[in-house]
Amino acid sequence: MLLSPNAMGRPLRTGLYLTTGIIAAFLLLPVVFIVLLSFGSSQWLVFPPPGWTFKWYDQFFSNPEWMDAALASLKVAVLTTFAAVALGLPTAFALVRGRFPGRELLYGLFTMPMIVPLVIIAVAVYALFLKLGYTGTLFAFVVSHVIVALPFTIISIINSLKLFDQSIEDAAVICGASRLQAIVKVTFPAIRPGMIAGGLFAFLVSWDEVVLSVMMASPDLQTLPVKMWTTLRQDLSPVIAVASTLLIGLSILVMFIASALRRRNETNA
Amino acid sequence: MSAVIKEAAHGKTLVTLRNLNKHYGDFAAVDNISLDIQDGEFLTFLGSSGSGKSTTLSMLAGFETPSSGEILVEGRSLVNVPPHKRDIGMVFQRYSLFPHLSVRDNIAFPLAIRKLGSAEIAKRVDAMLKLVQLETFAHRRPAQLSGGQQQRVAIARALVYEPRILLMDEPLGALDKKLREDLQDELRQLHRRLGITIVYVTHDQEEAMRLSQRIAIFSHGKIVGLGSGYDLYQNPPNAFVASFLGNSNFLRVTASSHGAAAFEGQSLAIRLTSGLAADQDALIMVRPEKALALSTEQATREPLPAGWNEVNAKVGEVLFLGESQTCQVVTAGGTEMTVKALSAAGMPMQPGDTVKVRWVVADACVYTEWAESDLSKAAGAH
Repeated sequence: MLLSPNAMGRPLRTGLYLTTGIIAAFLLLPVVFIVLLSFGSSQWLVFPPPGWTFKWYDQFFSNPEWMDAALASLKVAVLTTFAAVALGLPTAFALVRGRFPGRELLYGLFTMPMIVPLVIIAVAVYALFLKLGYTGTLFAFVVSHVIVALPFTIISIINSLKLFDQSIEDAAVICGASRLQAIVKVTFPAIRPGMIAGGLFAFLVSWDEVVLSVMMASPDLQTLPVKMWTTLRQDLSPVIAVASTLLIGLSILVMFIASALRRRNETNA
Repeated sequence: MSAVIKEAAHGKTLVTLRNLNKHYGDFAAVDNISLDIQDGEFLTFLGSSGSGKSTTLSMLAGFETPSSGEILVEGRSLVNVPPHKRDIGMVFQRYSLFPHLSVRDNIAFPLAIRKLGSAEIAKRVDAMLKLVQLETFAHRRPAQLSGGQQQRVAIARALVYEPRILLMDEPLGALDKKLREDLQDELRQLHRRLGITIVYVTHDQEEAMRLSQRIAIFSHGKIVGLGSGYDLYQNPPNAFVASFLGNSNFLRVTASSHGAAAFEGQSLAIRLTSGLAADQDALIMVRPEKALALSTEQATREPLPAGWNEVNAKVGEVLFLGESQTCQVVTAGGTEMTVKALSAAGMPMQPGDTVKVRWVVADACVYTEWAESDLSKAAGAH
């Protein structure tokens, strides 16, 4: 290959490593800063911190408003996960297996929320739910999050379904299983990693979603990012850094699970 | 006709395909096929890809619905029976084992779906494992088996519920030559032992010859030849089958009188052929191994026996192929011919030598109708 790191000259290679390092640092530094600041003793988010403390964590976990928001976030994310998989599974089957006119168009439609500016979706959903009187409900949060999470779930399931050799399902059918039995007993176990990855993506999308959530939120029900957003506008407390750290921590955990599953799937295949 | 075929012909018909069609838009993948499959026979659909053989098999399995026509098993229509209720076994090209189940559970799957008792399932699975000699591999996953072992599991899974018909869609295509030949032998023995009806799809004519009692040759969605490998090879029903199976020499002749024809200005004796009028163009086909090439000296030593033909030709190339040798020759009129002989018989000619090519009149087939495309190899696909 022309651009193999081994084939290029030493100066070029050093340059490449340097650029990669700078980009990685640029992406990671804010995360590192915020995590460090959550343990800093100054209440003005001074860097480097004058000392180290757990008191902001104490404040976070003892404040019912933060805890409610964290719990609401978790609830919304879990419900979004299950709803996205439940809707994404049949959609992916239809898009992969279906032989009907407009299939490509439908695929475009289902993946459109990835391209359409989030704020436009947010305004549209807000206007609709305002009219129906659903704003501020768990239902509104989950529905709006599913809209933006579904493309990721569908793409993930479509990918594993395309890799699945359908003659394996046909073999189950000729062995006496009905098409539905064959799908449940043979196809689902085979595409399970894709289903789980799709669910985890949906979880991550919902977990750090803020634009839609700000629109859906009410004083009684708000998610963690919304609570951070509103708190930020009043004062710059290190508790926000704690909330950020927790958001990041759970996201990293979920990503680890997803990549571990993908690796296991690859070694199985 | 060989003894095996006579046996099969005495058997009763198990499956009947009647005017079977499968159209995709204007395209006829399967074009009005009618065929009787005998109970207990090993029948092979042979053809190049796109010839309609796999689509026909798919309709038998129930994965494709015929556009029109009937599929009957012992007189009962199968067309509206869904595939999982057809009680047909099938082995796929890519094995298609269930990746998340062990060998034992793969084989048990059809029985578990039929809700058989666990003792009965265990008994039958054990018998199958023994049949395909995989007892020691029962607890492995498919990914831990070789290709040949996986295909044996697939065969066991297809046989465990004792279907009367076993469909096999190029099941050995993914295996290397040696393993393929071993499995072909196993398959032939299995068929003999179980007496099950097997419909086998392949594009490999040697495999078809090795395995089957009858071969159906597919081309452009039609069956263009049906019979034992022996009959199809020795007496091809048309020029396409002659050219598709093995190698062949075609000589363009013009019929002159009964049993005679003109070839490049020379008179040849031909088989008596019905429907052949004087001055009609015809084609005679001689298999390379049925023709002899004699040097001028040999030819003077051995005069032409009665019932033989002889044409003059010039040697183009002599090839040594191990157990056999071939000699390419060209006649004065530009017709190319190949003569094949066992190496043991010797072939002492050199390129440029003048030879006499001889063959027995009765060994040469005569065709009155053909398409030019029939005469080129691998012309069966759309």
